[in-house]
Amino acid sequence: MKNIKNKFISSLLVLFILVICFLSALKFLSMQKKEAVFPSEDLTSKKMLSAYLQSLKNTWGDTEIYIYEGQEKGGNLLITGGAHPNEPAGFITSVLLVENIQVTKGKIIIVPRANNSGFTHSDPQEGNPQRFSFETSTGRRQFRYGSRLTNPVHQWPDPTLYINPAGQKLSGTESRNLNRCYPGRKNGRLTEKVAYGIMELIKKEKIDLAIDLHESAPEYPVINAIVFHENSEELAALALMDLQLEGFEFSLEFSPKNLRGLSHREWGDHAHIMPILLESANASHGRLKGKTSPALIVEGKDKNYAKAAKLGRLFVPYGEEGVPLKLRVARHLAAVKSILSSLEELHPEKRIEIKNMPSSSKVRNTGIGPFLNPPN
Amino acid sequence: MPEYLIFLLMIAIFALLAMLLKLPIGVSLAFSALAGSLLGGEGIALRHLVEGSFGYFDTILIIVTAMIFMKVLQASGILDTITSLLLRTFYKKKSALLLTAMFLVMFPGMITGSSTTAVLSTGALVAPVLMKMGLSKVKTAALIAMGGILGMIAPPVNILVMIMGAGVDMPYVGLTIPLLIIVIPLAVAISFWLGYKDIKIIEYEKMRAVLPPSYHQQYGFRLYLPLIVVIVLMLGQSILPKIMPDIGIPAIFLVGSLIGLGCGRSFNFFKATQKAIKESTPILCILVGVGMFIQIMTLTGARGWIVISFLSLPSIFLYLGIATSMPLFGAVSAFGSSSILGVPFILALIDKNAILTSSALSAVAGLGDLMPPTALAGIFAAQVVGEANYFKVIRHCLMPALFELVMGVGVLISTPLLDKII
Repeated sequence: MKNIKNKFISSLLVLFILVICFLSALKFLSMQKKEAVFPSEDLTSKKMLSAYLQSLKNTWGDTEIYIYEGQEKGGNLLITGGAHPNEPAGFITSVLLVENIQVTKGKIIIVPRANNSGFTHSDPQEGNPQRFSFETSTGRRQFRYGSRLTNPVHQWPDPTLYINPAGQKLSGTESRNLNRCYPGRKNGRLTEKVAYGIMELIKKEKIDLAIDLHESAPEYPVINAIVFHENSEELAALALMDLQLEGFEFSLEFSPKNLRGLSHREWGDHAHIMPILLESANASHGRLKGKTSPALIVEGKDKNYAKAAKLGRLFVPYGEEGVPLKLRVARHLAAVKSILSSLEELHPEKRIEIKNMPSSSKVRNTGIGPFLNPPN
Repeated sequence: MPEYLIFLLMIAIFALLAMLLKLPIGVSLAFSALAGSLLGGEGIALRHLVEGSFGYFDTILIIVTAMIFMKVLQASGILDTITSLLLRTFYKKKSALLLTAMFLVMFPGMITGSSTTAVLSTGALVAPVLMKMGLSKVKTAALIAMGGILGMIAPPVNILVMIMGAGVDMPYVGLTIPLLIIVIPLAVAISFWLGYKDIKIIEYEKMRAVLPPSYHQQYGFRLYLPLIVVIVLMLGQSILPKIMPDIGIPAIFLVGSLIGLGCGRSFNFFKATQKAIKESTPILCILVGVGMFIQIMTLTGARGWIVISFLSLPSIFLYLGIATSMPLFGAVSAFGSSSILGVPFILALIDKNAILTSSALSAVAGLGDLMPPTALAGIFAAQVVGEANYFKVIRHCLMPALFELVMGVGVLISTPLLDKII
């Protein structure tokens, strides 16, 4: 009798666990559905990263590439967002560019989801929401808030010790961090292949200048920053002056030569281009963050960070009003614009001309929604 | 509801369920996490509870496979043979035995960065020797637990520093000497503190009386093959990463276990596996429960409240905050403590040498592996020696842990001086 009772309880427990697995699996799998991006009418062509590295085809590392080419020849610019999908300003800035710009001179290539796999999951124990949204004139547009790392379902197991393609020793999980995997490996792990694919894109498309859009936790020293390689030193310095005139405070940070595997170092060393990485202050992926919510991502208000700023523990001003996503995106847009102006000044033959670029002051004042194309 | 109140209520509910209602620790943690989710206005946050429980997925695989490996070593007679070998070598050499035992326990931790791996592999090898030489069960377990933690901190692979380094963009270079400065004195002091008084030099006849059977004559060299393969695979990943495929620690233990099937006494592999799973299930449940608990703490803002509270301490109390919060947060995991608290503390001490600071902080964070309810090093060391109550082991670890804490904070305070010397 006791045996039957135990078996009944065990069966009930197994059933209960199966129901939990089913219900939560639906939630997790929903992260695989990509948010739509509606490119501007002036899009020249759309490719996948696998066009540059065949072995990425039909993998979660493959990702969309939007190409805008002007009538006139000029410089070639690459913009990557979403290398870290928990840094939404980079992703949203690239989406705004894809959905608005018209290029009349030169070529701009935009990769909004550089680490596509990282958008399909969220980090355990970080308690982050899966999505955040903006109102547009005809409805709400949702975007995923992913993880800094490639989904372990797509790349697993992590090594104990990761020695990246540039020879840097890192903890094993960093093998899933796209911005530690450059210059990538042709036959390596998925993330290394993505890095390799981006390097191939840079070489084949004869990129002159590349901007990698990121965010940092407010307690991190490299923040509100332009990180530059020695190849882009003059460009960064000139852009900084322009940004200061516009009223944006940035710091200039030199890409350390002994910190290997990052875009701002390896793009310059291996493809000999002018790389720049931009950082803005994102509370939602910081260690001090308070209650997590979509509002924390979009509005950036966090009392813990306001307190930490008062205590002098941060490297960036952080008041009770927070640092909203619209401001972070506006900073990125302003920086892109200033970098392009500086490029024109330093290398007139590489001039890139853009029309309809979302104005940083308008994004800052009216928000992101008005610059997103309404859902079809 | 304020975050601190949610956190305190979660703790109170956990204590009520675990201590008064005597529910298993893992189940109590899961229910207190669920309560926290309700109190925080998140309803039944099913996705978060499940997601949090996956935070220790890799650790769980390491534990399960290491336990299987340990059972294979026992069942095949490898463990008895090695105990016999070590006893014959060291029965007259107390200091050499203690130092060798400490180094052997530390070794897998040094090459994998995991105290659990150390405790469950070579810890299981040296424990019978120490006990047969007169060291009590609980002190043996304490020595193994501390050895595992010191191995985790020792170079060449210190994952705690790597995690902190990733948070401040510090490359993992130049850490060997600072880490050795911390670990070597501790290894010597702790092994002698725990063992020197109790371990007895014994006569040959007495040693023979306690000698377990050796299967060396019967099976020869192949008896040691599982251990050799495991060590070679682990070492290869660190020394020859370009040549040696990195199959991960769980797979290494599984390979070792499967090889063990044909290297010694015959045994029922299925039953050994079953036993390993059964014995490790309680700690696996705790890890799943802790994962849920920490996810809800983060979701409701309780984690952030803890971090900012420690960072708000006046500068003179900052070291006290480090010395208390990092080991306490280790109840979640030493790795979690390094990431969540280690990075802000390095930044709070940014005017000091980050290599020395992170090395010292890793020594403090490593103690988290003694902190209940996870207490990975303590629980598995107790399991290795067959002690049901792991709190008895933790009690004997208190003084060695204090040595380590003093060393860690001491290095932190004397960083400017050390910076000039090394």
